Amino acid sequence: MSSQTAIVRISGISKNFGGLAALQEVSITVGRGTITSVIGPNGAGKTTLINVLSGFLKPDSGTIELNGAVITGRKAHAITRLGMARTFQTAQVFGQMSVLENVMVGCHARTRTGLAGAALRLPGVRAEERAVREKARGLLAMVGLAGQASMTAASIPIGSQRLLEIARALASQPAVLLLDEPAAGLNTQETRRLGELLLDIRRQGITIMLVEHDMELVMDISDEIAVLNFGRSIARGTPAEIQASPDVIAVYLGED
Amino acid sequence: MHVRKNIPLILLVASVAAAALLITDPYILTMLIFIGIYAIATMGLNLLLGFAGQISLGHGAFFALGAYVSAILTTRFGAPCTAAAALAVALVCAIAWAVGLPCLRLKGHYLAMGTLAFGEIIHITLNAEVELTGGPSGIAGIPVLSLGPFSADSDARYFLIVWCVFIALFVLTRNIINSRPGRALQALHGSEQAAGAMGIDVAGMKLTVFVLSAAYAALAGVLYVHFVAFVSPQAGDIMFSIKMVTMVVAGGMGHLWGGLLGAALLTVLPEMLSYFEDYDMLIYGGILLAMVMFMPGGLTQGLARLSGALRARRTAVRPGAVTGGRTEDPVPRRTAQ
Repeated sequence: MSSQTAIVRISGISKNFGGLAALQEVSITVGRGTITSVIGPNGAGKTTLINVLSGFLKPDSGTIELNGAVITGRKAHAITRLGMARTFQTAQVFGQMSVLENVMVGCHARTRTGLAGAALRLPGVRAEERAVREKARGLLAMVGLAGQASMTAASIPIGSQRLLEIARALASQPAVLLLDEPAAGLNTQETRRLGELLLDIRRQGITIMLVEHDMELVMDISDEIAVLNFGRSIARGTPAEIQASPDVIAVYLGED
Repeated sequence: MHVRKNIPLILLVASVAAAALLITDPYILTMLIFIGIYAIATMGLNLLLGFAGQISLGHGAFFALGAYVSAILTTRFGAPCTAAAALAVALVCAIAWAVGLPCLRLKGHYLAMGTLAFGEIIHITLNAEVELTGGPSGIAGIPVLSLGPFSADSDARYFLIVWCVFIALFVLTRNIINSRPGRALQALHGSEQAAGAMGIDVAGMKLTVFVLSAAYAALAGVLYVHFVAFVSPQAGDIMFSIKMVTMVVAGGMGHLWGGLLGAALLTVLPEMLSYFEDYDMLIYGGILLAMVMFMPGGLTQGLARLSGALRARRTAVRPGAVTGGRTEDPVPRRTAQ
């Protein structure tokens, strides 16, 4: 892949937990505007990879570039501001806040209102508040949660919470969206809708890096797939290539 | 919608005005002044505890520091009250920042222990620094609040000042809650990880709300000291820190009216229970225990449930009010505004 089209470049990332090598020299390039999926058996290091990319964990070695800038070791909130947002494997919504407010929190990285301005409700603050509310409503409509806007986030079903997390992450206007098993716990119909939503997001020019166990979803929507096993990147290619790869088949059928 | 949301506040303003004109009984006025002062302190603590989800068992110390700094500046250095008050709040903010920086790296029980230790250090220091603080016998003869020719020399005037400060702060605080920084600090309560992933500087936000809530406590301490005209280390000891937390919990964590309701309850209740003489603490404890068991969300939740039950009796059950719908069939719900 040429350097012009790469938006995320992961080079030689290693991460150890005590004696366990969760990631070993993993290198993955994510093409701009693609849906790139990372698959692999449980414990392959997929979530660790997301945590390292989003700044929740520091890698032991290796570099991560976003849009050509090295972001390795930056804090999570800084990485979000640089344009990479994420969701969580177990949905982490702000339970006591309304669904709408959850998405409004997502706008934090792209807005400026400080304490004093907020307390005095200055005119600029009012305008920003209105804009944030409008944007959040638009995103809720996009993921199909417009009807639940005023409910508390904890009270909506898990499947809806996952969609809420996606809307909230989109509110930070990311260039890259990292999704950690968004289809977990969804039924077939919900998963199909999720796939349509992800394609829709890609059409808007947002790059998606997807960690997912649902192979049907992955094969349906991915442009590129990278396979991890025991912390190593063992294969990469298009869905068709991955499905035909003997290495991958061996991993998934449990042969060594 | 806008007017309906403001009804409680309008009622409060009206009753403050009416009380200032009508109430002359010094006992009742004094009690109302104390409620106002405690309500200011607990409003700040509620920001930290109820909204941002961070415990502090050291906020009594910020209250005491605000009181002491203003007392020392006015009695020893003859500073005007307003300047002393401003300096006291600013100094407490600086102290809270310095304390919060290491303390807020702690979580849960550890944060509670850290802030408790800070409160104890301040308490011991106030007792020991006899030269500056008067030691255990405290500082007396503190002048009453005054601004130019206006002096709050009567209880009625002091009542008015305290409650005007409360109402002004209430409006400012509500504005903060319903805005970008307010949502960010509530997000900390929901999930620190997700808050970080949303671009919120978690450590910075925690420190900000800690300092802010200390400022409320300091201001309350200033208002307290110029009313009572005397201060001793007991003013902000650990029992008071715990009482502040109890006020927030009993009133309703994460609800702006909670601080006021809790402050009122915990100020009035002991006075009323003094009728039972020896058994007052027993009954007091029993009432608080029952509240925690049956109204875990505090008085505000209890009131909300009550009004909800009344409304449900009046109108038929709306569709969709029971559970959240699935994504494919959004329940017909009135959206806010």
